[in-house]
Amino acid sequence: MPVSRHGGTVRWSLRLVFGALIVFLYLPILFMVVFSFDEGATPGLPITGFTLHWYEAMLNNRVLLRAVGNSIIVAVIVSILATIIGTMAAFVLVRARIRFPNATRIAFTLPIMVPGVLIGVSLLIYFARVLDFSLSLGTVIAGHLVVTVPFVVLIVASRLQSFDRFLEWAAADLGASPRQAIRHIVLPLIAPAILAGALISVTLSIDEFVITWFTVGSQPTLPTFIYTRVKFGVTPEVNAVATVMLVLTLGTLGLAGVAMGRARRLTGRMRRRRQAG
Amino acid sequence: MTGAGTAPAIELINVTKRYGEAVALDRVSLQIESGEFFCLLGPSGCGKTTTLNLIGGFIPLTSGELRIEGQRVNDLPPHQRDVNTVFQNYALFPHMSVADNVAFGLRMESLPDDEIGRRVGEYLELVGLSEYRDRYPGQLSGGQAQRVALARALAKRPTVLLLDEPLGALDLKLRKQMQVELARIHRQVGTTFVFVTHDQEEALSMATRIAVMAGGHVRQIGTPREIYLGPVDRFVADFIGESNFLDGRVASNGQGPAFQLSNGTVVPIPTEPDGTQNGRVALMIRPESVGVGRGAPGGMTPNVVIDGRATNVAFMGNHTRITVQTDAGILVALRFHGESDEQAVEEEMLDQEVHVWWDPRESTVVTADDLRGSEEELRGGPEG
Repeated sequence: MPVSRHGGTVRWSLRLVFGALIVFLYLPILFMVVFSFDEGATPGLPITGFTLHWYEAMLNNRVLLRAVGNSIIVAVIVSILATIIGTMAAFVLVRARIRFPNATRIAFTLPIMVPGVLIGVSLLIYFARVLDFSLSLGTVIAGHLVVTVPFVVLIVASRLQSFDRFLEWAAADLGASPRQAIRHIVLPLIAPAILAGALISVTLSIDEFVITWFTVGSQPTLPTFIYTRVKFGVTPEVNAVATVMLVLTLGTLGLAGVAMGRARRLTGRMRRRRQAG
Repeated sequence: MTGAGTAPAIELINVTKRYGEAVALDRVSLQIESGEFFCLLGPSGCGKTTTLNLIGGFIPLTSGELRIEGQRVNDLPPHQRDVNTVFQNYALFPHMSVADNVAFGLRMESLPDDEIGRRVGEYLELVGLSEYRDRYPGQLSGGQAQRVALARALAKRPTVLLLDEPLGALDLKLRKQMQVELARIHRQVGTTFVFVTHDQEEALSMATRIAVMAGGHVRQIGTPREIYLGPVDRFVADFIGESNFLDGRVASNGQGPAFQLSNGTVVPIPTEPDGTQNGRVALMIRPESVGVGRGAPGGMTPNVVIDGRATNVAFMGNHTRITVQTDAGILVALRFHGESDEQAVEEEMLDQEVHVWWDPRESTVVTADDLRGSEEELRGGPEG
């Protein structure tokens, strides 16, 4: 039963807008993927033929592979450090009776909102003028931590917030010391959230450009390498690299989604039980 | 299993618990003997759950002393106390199977593996869940989860088992079934059970002794029979079962203790109440002790008889409930079926002049002014 006589028209135009939006968002990416398989040396329409040549070129490009290696090193170290720091911060935020919990929470997560340029410039000044560090992968890692730690804090804190304190009481009741209760009950139950935080840190670090650009030294990461390469003209090789990055990023995000889904299912069960009680 | 000494399993001496300004428990003293099925009964906010959490060690005492088997345990953390708890929401570990849940406490004790395996089997058997050992808590019904929580706590073979409204989340049928089950398990393992509930029927049916609590105080401690038949005040009488209260004052009719109803009638009472003569009092009679009929009562006991009008007659299945308005107050009488031609009850009595009567030995004088005070305390008290 239509509420309005124009209901049908409205629905159709909404669908149209939605469709246009999807095309706007994903069509460029689609072209990039398609061009990476294109035979032509200058990517563009019409497509002349299918080839894996550019992927081969990519694999033979020493400089490019080194950039990929740098990115992976940075991402792995950032992910490990961000997960440890973020998880500990989340415990403090949720468990410790700190004086200004809301202000602290905002302070922890604000770097997500601060423009990357601002963070990049300030880090550059800080490293170069205050600490007198030379720029290297180390400074890149420090820069990436600024934006990845808040995500880990957000994800792990929200999981801890919904954690049933009675489970810890039960563990203590059954003879577990506080340390054992954390190890056997709390950590396994928030592990999916910690894993999700780690995976999101990887993807954020892999494609972080702005902060990297300011803090990177002579060893480029993949995004900064692609950027310098594009200045000399886009070759299909870059498309191939970007496509590989896209697949890896989506894959990692998918894993993070699965981990968080698992976390929610466990919580959901506990919730239902509590509501029944 | 339990200590051979004469010390009570649990002893509270002048225990007080304050949350800031609010007093959750006010100088409570009680002793729970080894092997008892002891029930803490009261409305929400009366302090019963607080008492349980103090014994479990989850919250600290403000003042007073708590002893487990004669040992002062005020400052002992929960994981070092020889008591175990079945929580209201069961608190099963969702990432562990049923068997691992039961084994958790035993692993914390670092028992040898074969002993752990043996005990897990034994206690799952006790609660009838042997086939469910590999299930996860999310796959269990409420009743099954409840049994797992019970097995997990009992497997530690504690001196005292604490149960925090463990049947609250179950539906009525299952609850009745679990009441019988809990009583059986208590007899079988012989451990002291301390049970918290707001359901008076649960308390009456399972407990060996009951402590009725209100506003952070213990009102009365006794066996279910003692508390039901001889409540100390109107609050207890009202909370446990249904009661008739007739206002009036303690009087004398020259032949023994007596009570003057508000309409002036003087009726005999079983014993002279001591110390309550000056306060507001009421005469309490349980509905099942009240007889009702159009004719005079039969039998040889010297019954008290007053007149009234039946204002409501309700068929309740196995009994009929008759409300009678008298000039001394309203009385509810229960007539259990099978005594006479019950089909006639309704037509016979509704809106008719009837007699109501009771045996003076089944009436009790209770103080009445306590009720208001406890209601106010209840509203002010914290949850628990």
